[in-house]
Amino acid sequence: MSGEAKRAAARQRIAAERAAEAAAAAAAARRRRTVLGGVVAAVVLVVVLVAVVVVQTMRTSTSADAAAPANTSGNGYVVTVGQADAPVILDVYEDFQCPNCKALEDSTGSTIDDLVTAGTVQVRYHGMAFLDTDANDDYSTRALNAAAVVADTAGTEAYERFHDLLFAHQPAEGGSGLTDDQLVGYAEQAGATGAGVAADVRDLVFADWVEGAEDQASKDGVTGTPTVLVDGEELTDLSPAGLTAAVAAAQQ
Amino acid sequence: MGTLGPWAATAARLLLGGVLVVAGALKMPDPAAAERAVRAYRLLPEALVGPVASGLPVVEIAVGLALLAGVCVRGAALASAVLMAVFVGAVGSAWARGLQIDCGCFGGGGQVAAGQTAYPGEVARDLGLLLVSLALARWPASRWALGGRAGTELADVR
Repeated sequence: MSGEAKRAAARQRIAAERAAEAAAAAAAARRRRTVLGGVVAAVVLVVVLVAVVVVQTMRTSTSADAAAPANTSGNGYVVTVGQADAPVILDVYEDFQCPNCKALEDSTGSTIDDLVTAGTVQVRYHGMAFLDTDANDDYSTRALNAAAVVADTAGTEAYERFHDLLFAHQPAEGGSGLTDDQLVGYAEQAGATGAGVAADVRDLVFADWVEGAEDQASKDGVTGTPTVLVDGEELTDLSPAGLTAAVAAAQQ
Repeated sequence: MGTLGPWAATAARLLLGGVLVVAGALKMPDPAAAERAVRAYRLLPEALVGPVASGLPVVEIAVGLALLAGVCVRGAALASAVLMAVFVGAVGSAWARGLQIDCGCFGGGGQVAAGQTAYPGEVARDLGLLLVSLALARWPASRWALGGRAGTELADVR
C-alpha cells in the first residue's frame, strides 16, 4: 500500500472514531435528558398527588361534623323506634328510592311493626341516599332530608309514619321522584306540621347530615339496601317468616 | 411489524388514555363517594381508605394523559397494566367474597341496590384493557406521539 493510501485510511479511521464518539456523546446527553425529564415528571406527580389527597381529605371532613336532627340516637344517624328494653335489636338500612326496600316494607313491614308493638324488637332505622339521579332530582337525598326534618320536628314515631308513607308511595325508579310539595304533604300527614317544615324540606337543611349518614353506613360495612341486621347478624331471608325465625333465634 | 402496527398502538393509547382520564376525572368531584367506594371492597384498613380514594384518580389521570400525549408510552402502558391488574383482582375478590358492591370504576359510592351487581362485565372490561395495556407495552411505537424519539421508536417502519 502506498504512503498516500495509508494516510487516507488513517484519516478515514479517525473520522469514523470521531463520529462514533459524537454519537455516544449525543446518546449520553439524550439519556441524561430522559432521566432528568423522568425525575421532574415523578416529582411533579408526587407533589400533585399529595396536594390532591390533602384537598380531597379536607372536602370529605365537612360531613363529619354535620348537625344531626333532634330525636336521633347513637351517633346521630339512627332513628330508634320501640321499647328500650326489647330483647332484640333490628338495624334497617334503606334508601327511599330503592325498589327492594319497598318490597321489604310491603312484605315484612307489618311483621316488623307487630314485633315492635309486642315489645320484642327495637328498630333502628338508618337512612341511606345513593340513588340520586338527574332524572329524579336527587330524590334519595331530598327524601332522607325530609325524613330528618320530620324526626327533628315531630319525633321518632312521626319519622316511622313518614317512612311508611314514602315507601307506600315510592316513585318509580328512573322516574322523576316525588316533588318537594309532595314530601311536605306526607310530612304533615305524618305529624310534622311546624311552620318551618316546608322550608327545611325545600332548603335541604340536613344535606350534610345525609352525606354523613352515607359515610356512616359505609363505615358500618353496609353497601347495599335493604340491609337488615338482627342483633348485628345480617338477615338473608327478608320474608316475614325469615324475620320471625331470626328474631326467635336471637331470643334464645 | 407492518405499517398498521403504529396506528394500532395509537388507537390503544387513545382508548386506554381516554378511559383512564375519564375514570379519574369522574372520581374527583365527590371524594366522599370515592372513599365509600374504596371502603366497600373491605380490603384496606380505614387509615388507607382516604389516601387511596383521593390518590388513585390522580394516578389514573396522570397515566391517561401520558398515554394520550404519547410520552413515556411504554412506562405508562405498564402502569396502566398494573392498574388494570389491581382492578381485576379487587373486583374479582369482591365477587368471590359475595360482596354486593358497585366497582366504583367511574365514580359512584360503591353501593348498589340488592341484586344490582355487574361483576362479569366489570371484570371482562378490565381484563380487556389489561391485555391492550400489555400489548402497548410490548409494541409502544405509535403515530401522533409527542414524546419518545420518533427516529428510533419508528426506525423499523420508516
